[in-house]
Amino acid sequence: MERAPVRAPLIKNLEFKVGLLLALTLALAVAFIAYTLYSRGVFERTQRLVLVADNAEGVSIGMPISFSGFPVGQVERMSLTDEGKVRIEMSIPVKDAKWLRNSSVFTLEKSLVGSAKIRAITTNLKDTILADNAERPLYTGDAAQEIPELIIKVRDVVTNLQNLTDKQSSLNQSMANLQTVTGRMAGQYGVMGGILGAEENSRKVVDAIDRANTLLASLNGVSLKVDSVLTKTDQRLYGQGGVMDETQKAVVQINSILTDARESLKKADAILKNTQGITSDIKGATTDLGTLRAQVDDSLTRVNGMINELNRKWPFSHDAEVKLP
Amino acid sequence: MPDDAGRIALLEEHASAALISDSLPLRANLSVLENVAIVLQYRQNLHYDRAADLAWTLLGRFDQTGCAFKRDPDLDSNERFIARLARALILPQPIILIERPGLLLPDCHYPSFLEATLAAVEDLYEQCWIVDYPWNEPLYAPR
Amino acid sequence: MTSDSPTDFFTRFGASLLVWLKSWRAVSRFTAVAIVEALSPSTYNSATRSVVLKQIYFTAWQILPRFTLFSALLSYVLIQIVVDTARNFGLADYALEGVIRLLVLEVLPLMTALFVALRSGAATGTEVVLMNIHNEIRAMEESGIDPLRFELIPRVIGGVISVLALTAVTSALALLFAYFVVYGLQYWNLPDFARVMAHIFDLPALAILWAKVLAFGLAVTVIPITEALAAPQKLFFAPIAVLRGMVRLFFVLMLIEVLSLALKYI
Repeated sequence: MERAPVRAPLIKNLEFKVGLLLALTLALAVAFIAYTLYSRGVFERTQRLVLVADNAEGVSIGMPISFSGFPVGQVERMSLTDEGKVRIEMSIPVKDAKWLRNSSVFTLEKSLVGSAKIRAITTNLKDTILADNAERPLYTGDAAQEIPELIIKVRDVVTNLQNLTDKQSSLNQSMANLQTVTGRMAGQYGVMGGILGAEENSRKVVDAIDRANTLLASLNGVSLKVDSVLTKTDQRLYGQGGVMDETQKAVVQINSILTDARESLKKADAILKNTQGITSDIKGATTDLGTLRAQVDDSLTRVNGMINELNRKWPFSHDAEVKLP
Repeated sequence: MPDDAGRIALLEEHASAALISDSLPLRANLSVLENVAIVLQYRQNLHYDRAADLAWTLLGRFDQTGCAFKRDPDLDSNERFIARLARALILPQPIILIERPGLLLPDCHYPSFLEATLAAVEDLYEQCWIVDYPWNEPLYAPR
Repeated sequence: MTSDSPTDFFTRFGASLLVWLKSWRAVSRFTAVAIVEALSPSTYNSATRSVVLKQIYFTAWQILPRFTLFSALLSYVLIQIVVDTARNFGLADYALEGVIRLLVLEVLPLMTALFVALRSGAATGTEVVLMNIHNEIRAMEESGIDPLRFELIPRVIGGVISVLALTAVTSALALLFAYFVVYGLQYWNLPDFARVMAHIFDLPALAILWAKVLAFGLAVTVIPITEALAAPQKLFFAPIAVLRGMVRLFFVLMLIEVLSLALKYI
């Protein structure tokens, strides 16, 4: 049999090229499917977390749950229980489970644009890790939405208070200043007595300042208490006993104490005003007293501001009256 | 041999015969060799190289390997006829029907050409019928 | 013929409707046959394989570099536009998802199908029309070759594979671009990317995407071929058959796209 001459084929390496293209396509398709499966967490060990909500509006399958803005899991299944609540089953990759503790709080937040968000808030990362198949409530609605923010704000306020009543704080210093000045006036030189014209008035000043000091000291105590309440909040927000109530009580207490502090400082201020008026002709003492007064004023504004802020932040407080001296 | 209506009737009568006709052209986008080889490739699932070798051998028997890589429009009428014959005969046939050779081979004295060509591949068919009009009968050599 | 009695009108209307329905029936029958044949191993012999290979070569391989380049450019520009716009409106979180949905699910498959339709669909249609008119189809039958299996089905298979291949390559590129445009040239946002991907490509979306690309691939060859086979065997019908095939192909492509959108978002 004769052999057909080997002729340069019309298309060089046709089989090879087409094979290459097919292999590439197949590889891409397989890689794509594998990747989508991977991204859906098929190859990842997950644990389950069940969130029970009153209303699951805006929640959809595949929706992520975020911790500090990072997704740590997603909604796997949703069902309605016999009590009319929504059971949202979430799958949490085991590697991310460490961010969810027993004390973690889960909230559902809705924004104007975009979908709703499920957030996990863990304030105490030393708590025990949330068990597999754990069931937790999912808080929705306005009040619950603000809770995490509120806790942070209240904490800020408390820190402020602590700073204010600290030994180094300007309020304390000004009080100390006031005491030394008045002491100097009353004692060695008797300027105070002379200026005020009466023992009684100088006593008043000292008394008022003393009162302010004690009040601020007790305020410190209260703020510590608020702190402890907040730690408890970490453990069980909304638990029986109602954290809301306790926090509210604490805040109301802070409020009244601050109001007290303000009143007494006002008194001191008034007295000092008088003093200044009387001693306007005595040069040296007046400048001293002027600075003192400015400092007291400053402290007073700060306390006022705090009361203001507290009233604004706390939705349960009804009397939001704020009066500047 | 009858007239046109008779011709058609005759063709229908022998529908199973391998027909070589003006109305059955080569595949235009394949070369002659491919046109012949493709029959083997399709019907016997031969690899192209092997099928092309067989086709080449057959064309060699007609002494027409020169046109193996030409496509239909580049062929002269003799080459085109050979190519069609090769396509029909690449698999052995009991009957081949050459219809109106005057139409297929307008540029030569076709009876002698046909005789020479068919003699070259005698073993590949049992019978060969040439369908032609009676008025062309004088062209054929008396048997 | 000028008499316009209602009866005549309805007769004509009915006749044209019947022709129309018949042509669609031809399309769907050929599609069904093509799918069955493509899935049966007996279709693949030495001859048909060579046609499939050539079809893929001409439809996909030949245009691969230029088409990839073009679609990369288009993807890049579209990604930039969408990402920038989303950022301007403060919706940066949704930019990636939007861009992937736009490109991978909609624009790239449709663009690939249109491109292949313009290039290979037209070529296939013309070739089959000429084959039919020159009676080559019957010639093949006569020499014991099933033209459907030898010439037509392999082209359909080649067309489908080509559309799949081109879509896969361009989509992969688009995904890469999307990642790098949104996150910059680094890889530590991969988990975030994976989450977005998981969100977009859930099972229904994947199924719809696959079905759509397959439908595109089928349409691109099946419709020109059936239209070509339906034309009468007269040379002057060739342009008309190709034209009809292309117009119908365009409508079918759009119909598939709209259908996929409707399935996804309604």
